[in-house]
Amino acid sequence: MNKGSSYMSSEHEIVRQVCLAKDDPDAADQFIRDYMPFIRSETSRFLQRFPSAEYDDELSVAMMAFHEAITGYAKGRGAFLQYAAMLIRNRLIDYHRREKRHRGNLSMDVPAEEEDRTIGETLAGEGDHGEELILREATRAEIEAFSRKLTGFGFSLSDIADNCPRQKRTIAVCQKAMACAEKNPDIAADLLRTKRLPVARLSLENGIERKTLERHRKYIIALILICSGEFEIIRGHLKQVLKGGASK
Amino acid sequence: MKYLVVECCPGYAVLLDEQGLFVKAANFNYTVGQTVEDPVLMKAPREEKKKRRWLGGIAAAAACVMIVLGNGYYQEYVTSYSSIFLSINPEVRMELNRHGEVVELTGENEDGRVLIEGYDAEGKDKLIVSDELIDRAIEMGFLKEGDQVAFSINAPEESLFREYGKELRDEVNAHLRDKLAVMVLVMDYHQTGGAVPEVQSDEGEREGGKEETVKEEAAGDSDYGTGGSDYGDRDD
Repeated sequence: MNKGSSYMSSEHEIVRQVCLAKDDPDAADQFIRDYMPFIRSETSRFLQRFPSAEYDDELSVAMMAFHEAITGYAKGRGAFLQYAAMLIRNRLIDYHRREKRHRGNLSMDVPAEEEDRTIGETLAGEGDHGEELILREATRAEIEAFSRKLTGFGFSLSDIADNCPRQKRTIAVCQKAMACAEKNPDIAADLLRTKRLPVARLSLENGIERKTLERHRKYIIALILICSGEFEIIRGHLKQVLKGGASK
Repeated sequence: MKYLVVECCPGYAVLLDEQGLFVKAANFNYTVGQTVEDPVLMKAPREEKKKRRWLGGIAAAAACVMIVLGNGYYQEYVTSYSSIFLSINPEVRMELNRHGEVVELTGENEDGRVLIEGYDAEGKDKLIVSDELIDRAIEMGFLKEGDQVAFSINAPEESLFREYGKELRDEVNAHLRDKLAVMVLVMDYHQTGGAVPEVQSDEGEREGGKEETVKEEAAGDSDYGTGGSDYGDRDD
């Protein structure tokens, strides 16, 4: 009886933490850290050996699956850990099937023989490595500045990922809004000044439904900020969509 | 497609693709500013919720029509009353009406979506759908000799769980007789949460080649049953 009630109260506590983690990214991160032993255990069960955090991508896949379990969990799905275990196993199976096509290829990240570097690091020339480091550092600094700018609007990069459209039609509509902002720099200026998306103007000038603009507001704000001229490296990464936007 | 790593979290990374889409993916020791290719993308969790709301709108409209017509057709034939998770791996979910006919079929993982692509299950009995999906799984190489087919039944009543469990077990055994020797599991979803325990095959029973092993998991016997998990007694 005691064991049963103790189990139920710990299950309630887990569900409470999951509900918190759904809405709070920091709580989600902490929850994942707290349950790393569980995640490692499930990965180990699948791999039939203890996973290495440094070399086993399976552990990263399992952590991602655990996060999916947090966001996808509802009480009707039974106990949370059982649900998470099922998701982790499914994702690891998917990952292994996917990786079958890479079998025979050597990973660049494994250690080179008798050296302290990875194979990828031994192949790159000294000059390449230096330039790449400088570019990577500049990119990182720009992304951090972008993230700070988004914080000023009250959301994070994770929030934008959750707010991204999935359907082709909606993606095209959002890109249309971005193209409009590119042609009209005052839209970005207004956005930075008022911290509000000019929904009425974008809707009127482009024939976009207000509902779509409201639904993907965070994502469209992020796109407009990228086009505002401040984030050249990130903008350079979007060459595909910008080519298409310019031609439209 | 190249992806720019823009955020790293313990459970995932946020990437920006060349089309301007921000996506969450497994974090393979990424660093912010890195460019990667071929990431493992996180599956979006909200699709099902949206689908249910959409279905709710359709259901409401259909309900009004049914009320006007003055019968319970809609309740009997269109509303989901129970569900069965078929796990081979691929993983597939069948939503059933009160008559055990499929009203919705969903692939729960990548292989599941591949398995059901182009397959129409609507209105078919669960036994026919199970047989046809198993046949497809064999053709596609997902199910081989010695593998396991698990049914996790989510039914509102115990009696329905037992009825469906027996029907599925008998049907699959008959369907695969003289074709393939596999292990068939039937589980109560409320006990296992859909998790499929690893079951060791009993080679002794398989001698002779074609004999199927049937096992029914009782509550508490599974590794995932109440109190059975290593994490079941965690104290906070």
